[in-house]
Parts: sequence; C-alpha cells; structure tokens
Amino acid sequence: MSGATPSTKPSTYELSAADRARTFIVIAAFNEARAIGQVVRELREAAFPNVVVVDDGSRDDTADQARAAGAVVLTHLINRGQGAALQTGLSYALRAGADYLATFDADGQHDVADLPAMLGPIMHGEVEICLGSRFLGVRAKMPKLRRAVLFGAVLFTRITSRIKLTDAHNGLRALSRRAALGIDLQLDRMAHASEIVDQIASCGLSYREVPVHIRYTAYSLAKGQKSSAALRVAFDYLIGRVFR
Amino acid sequence: MSLFQWLGLSVLAVLAVLTVSAGVRGQVRKRIVTFWLLVWGGGAVLLVWPSSAAIAAHKLGIGRGADLLLYSSVLVMFSGFFYVYTRFRRLDRQITMLVRRLAIENAARPAAGSSHDG
Repeated sequence: MSGATPSTKPSTYELSAADRARTFIVIAAFNEARAIGQVVRELREAAFPNVVVVDDGSRDDTADQARAAGAVVLTHLINRGQGAALQTGLSYALRAGADYLATFDADGQHDVADLPAMLGPIMHGEVEICLGSRFLGVRAKMPKLRRAVLFGAVLFTRITSRIKLTDAHNGLRALSRRAALGIDLQLDRMAHASEIVDQIASCGLSYREVPVHIRYTAYSLAKGQKSSAALRVAFDYLIGRVFR
Repeated sequence: MSLFQWLGLSVLAVLAVLTVSAGVRGQVRKRIVTFWLLVWGGGAVLLVWPSSAAIAAHKLGIGRGADLLLYSSVLVMFSGFFYVYTRFRRLDRQITMLVRRLAIENAARPAAGSSHDG
C-alpha cells in the first residue's frame, strides 16, 4: 500500500488546453437546477470541455440547465443516490476515453480554481488520486456541528480503512484513468465516500490530499447533507462491508 | 378430532395443493416446494398429535412444547427477514445497474450553440 505524500507545497501546476481536453469532470446532481448551470458554465469557461452531469432522477429541470450550459447529461430514470450517480459518470467518462477524471459537487461549493492543483500531480505521474481536503491549509468558515461531524467521519475512515486523511468526505477528487478503472462504487447512497477510500487502500493506489476551498453558501448548506445523516451513512457503509 | 383440528387440516391441505400446483407449473423451484410441504406437514402433525411438540422439546432440552414452537418460529422469521433483505439488496444493485446502463446509452450531448471552445 502506498502512503500519502505530504502536499505542503503550493499549487504550481499549469494545465495545458490538451490536458484539459483529456480530462472529464463528473458531477452528480439531484434537484440542483438553481446551481448546476452556473457550475457547468464555470467549468466550461475554465476550458474544461468535457463536463458530465449525471442527473440522478431530479424532479426539476436540472438536466435541461446542465445541457444548456454545455454539459453531457446522463439521466438516471430513478433516483439511485450520489454514489450510484458518480459511478455512472465515471463509467461513461472512461468509455468516452477520459485520461484524467475529477468529481465535482453540483451545488457550487467547489472552486474551479482548485482543479489544476488536484489534476496536476496526476498528470505529472506523481500520484494516481488526489483527494480534496477542506482542513489542509486554508480554513474554511464552517458551522461547529458540521466540523464535529466531519471530524467523526475522518476518525471513522481511519479506523475502517486505515488510511489517514484529514477530510474523508470531500466531493472534490481527481483520478487517473488507471485509478478510475480500479474503483467500482457499490454503495449507492452517501457512504461511497468511505468506499472510495477503502478501494484506494485495497487497490494500493497512491494518493495525496490537496487543500481546497469550500464555499459554504446558504444554498449549499440547505441543499447538502444534514449532519444527522451521518449515522445513516455509517450504517450503509458497515452493512456494505458485511455484504460484499 | 375437534372442529379446530378439522379446520386447520383442511387449510393445510389447500395450502399443500396450491404449493404442489405452483411447483408443477414451474413458478416455484423444487427446493422451495419441498420446504413448504415440510412446513405444512409439520403443522398437520402438530394439529393431529399436539403432544409431539412436547416430546420433541423434551428431547432438545427445552421444557415445553409451546416454547419449542416459539423459538423455532422466531428462528424461521429471522431467517426469513435475512433472506428478504439479501434479495432486496440484490434487487437494488440490479436496478442501479439497469438505470446506469440506460443513462450511459442515452447520453444527451450538450445543446447546440452552448460550446465556448473547440
């Protein structure tokens, strides 16, 4: 198993247009019509031509907004959960020939400006996976309860996967093609975040945490997971470990 | 025999006939048919010869026949839950795979005129 390499140095990676063209950004979206258009546009304006939005059975016009903003839209006819939607997007991107992949949240909490620092180490062959961390480097303003729950999640992941992370449940991740081929998310709902970490460990993929900036807007907080959902996530995850 | 025994036996007989006919028509697998016939048969034995439960319970070291019935029904119920739960999980996975396949095969390209770049 490869260990994590520290990422204290600042992000100095530049991505060429060709690098960006070989990258697929995967977004799982459920009833995100208000935010998804802006998120896709920002990615497109940052010259990422391949944005894949998986509309996870939304009841609003998430799919139309994403498509109008320039994304390829995959539609889950029935809501299957974020883990399932991400896996759909990753599978599609791999089929479409992606060399580099990134997962991005639909609610606008991630910063497009963090992508070069996430993808650069992979493009330079330094690691196979970069995981965004909101606790490395810059401190994001965050409600106290949210901070406590996320810390609990980090401890949980350390115990279950024996991988040391500072932020176990950050939706911003970057993967090489090889890493994405090794990942197979079976947990359809939110426990996929721990599942990915497990699979990083079991596939022996090299990884690195990269400090990212999270925008806690009123919208993303209202739309995001309630802190009380953590128990459900833990249960899903543990059951998933039993019934492999 | 009492009225209760006659009623119970006829219900069990109907259930057995239904089970066998479902098996013959291929709706239920042979192993499942055998399982249910054993359950109905066991019920019939208990109805006609109630003290058999007490004898079996005694042999197993459980005091009373009623206790044996209670324990075994709890056991059967939990294995039933477990069976249904694993079935449910499998079904869940299958639905996800189906939904995924449909999503990938019907991928919608971006709307015309929305591209900013080449």
